[in-house]
Amino acid sequence: MPGLSLQNIKSGYDDKLIVKNLSLDVEAKETLVLMGSSGSGKSTLLLTILGILKPSHGKIILNDKEITNLPIESRNIGYLPQDYGLFPHMSVIDNVSYGLRMRGIQKKEYESSAEEILELVELKGYGKRKPKELSGGERQRVGLARALAIKPDLFLLDEPLSNIDQATKMDVAKQMKELFRKLEIPIILVTHNHEDALFLAERLAIMIDGKIEQVGSVDEVLKNPKTKFIKRLLMPFAEG
Amino acid sequence: MNYINKKNSTKHLIIVLYALAGVLLCFSILTFLYQYIAAVGSFRGVVSAFGNNRILTALWLSLTSAFIVAILSILLGVPLAYFFAMKDFPGKAIIETLAVDVPQTFPPIAEGMIFLLMFGKDSPLHINLAFTFTALVIAKLFICAPFVVSFTARRFREIKQSGINLTARSLGANPFQVFMTIFLPLGLKDIGAGVALCWSRAMGELGGSLLFAGVIIGKTEIIPTFIATQANTLTVEALAATILVTTASTIALISFKRLSNK
Repeated sequence: MPGLSLQNIKSGYDDKLIVKNLSLDVEAKETLVLMGSSGSGKSTLLLTILGILKPSHGKIILNDKEITNLPIESRNIGYLPQDYGLFPHMSVIDNVSYGLRMRGIQKKEYESSAEEILELVELKGYGKRKPKELSGGERQRVGLARALAIKPDLFLLDEPLSNIDQATKMDVAKQMKELFRKLEIPIILVTHNHEDALFLAERLAIMIDGKIEQVGSVDEVLKNPKTKFIKRLLMPFAEG
Repeated sequence: MNYINKKNSTKHLIIVLYALAGVLLCFSILTFLYQYIAAVGSFRGVVSAFGNNRILTALWLSLTSAFIVAILSILLGVPLAYFFAMKDFPGKAIIETLAVDVPQTFPPIAEGMIFLLMFGKDSPLHINLAFTFTALVIAKLFICAPFVVSFTARRFREIKQSGINLTARSLGANPFQVFMTIFLPLGLKDIGAGVALCWSRAMGELGGSLLFAGVIIGKTEIIPTFIATQANTLTVEALAATILVTTASTIALISFKRLSNK
């Protein structure tokens, strides 16, 4: 089946097991928000899918192909880290075209692809600027553009809205949602913020202590939270 | 009243601190400047010594050996810094201390002795390099290359900690491409700082060179060994050579600092 399938994943750092026998499927064109409190293992799971951490057990299958032991650079996964990870010594256009250049694509081709994708994230004309000359929101969009320029088979985002100021957060979230709709690839977005999660998710997975505690559509999880903890996580100001 | 007394005593303590700082500052700057002050008294002798063939040859050997050491330190030191920054293995701290910290504090004369035993006429490896230009380079390399390694490794560790190397990998770059496009350009200033120190240190290195390369005029005599042989008689030539070596090192360091601040 196209999409992502995580099967009995165990992963962590050295001897510390953080992701504990986790199984999860993400459909081909779906945005799944992975929500959980700090230390629940969300980011560790993301790093395991990306290939930065090697699972001690289990399989990762992307579009019917097992990628569990593939090196990071061969997975074709778009990744937006929490701080966007922009390369400070490169211009916006060089950041965005980085993945294409590493694939040996000709200059003319990668430049036009990068310009195209910059237009998509509404940053036309920003190509020559350096990351330090951009606002937080603009940096985030450069990070998005860079991850998408490689036409990934899967897109992973780690707390993408956590560094955006409150005043512009809603606009950025709307743009992201619109962009996700156009992408037609499986997307996993990690957050601990209930507002971001409920706004961006097509499906919601709640992660507690290294395991998926509940998964379903936003409505399903909101209506029937499996535990009080999940209810508090999604509706921190609700009574009861 | 108490408050005023306290304020006054704090003021006096600060003055004492500044006075102590001033002592060291004056000591360092005066020592550096004294060579020029001394040269004023025998200005003509010093200027004519700059044209002395023996000094010019020693300067040429100092410059070329220091230049080769700097190049070798980049070629060997940058990969070693990358290795130390990226790999974790048992005993790493000890190995890194031996390779980086110990040579910087090693008595150069002892280093020269070890090289004589290793690569002298009785070398167990049957390689006799003693009293050659190669010996000069080897003696300096051991002491000076660690400056490049330590500056570069520190920067590479910061880059690794930021995680942008992994973002680059996720975009399809293999580890070599990440090294060339992320680590090297972002580490350039620190590599430069290490090389500037390495070069300056190589220009001034004495003990190792003296023992392992000897003082053969026109072949292994460098400015520091020339000064050492003239030190007893304090000739104008020794003063001229001192001015040459310290000025060259200072210009190199100041130029680098100005470049790196741009």
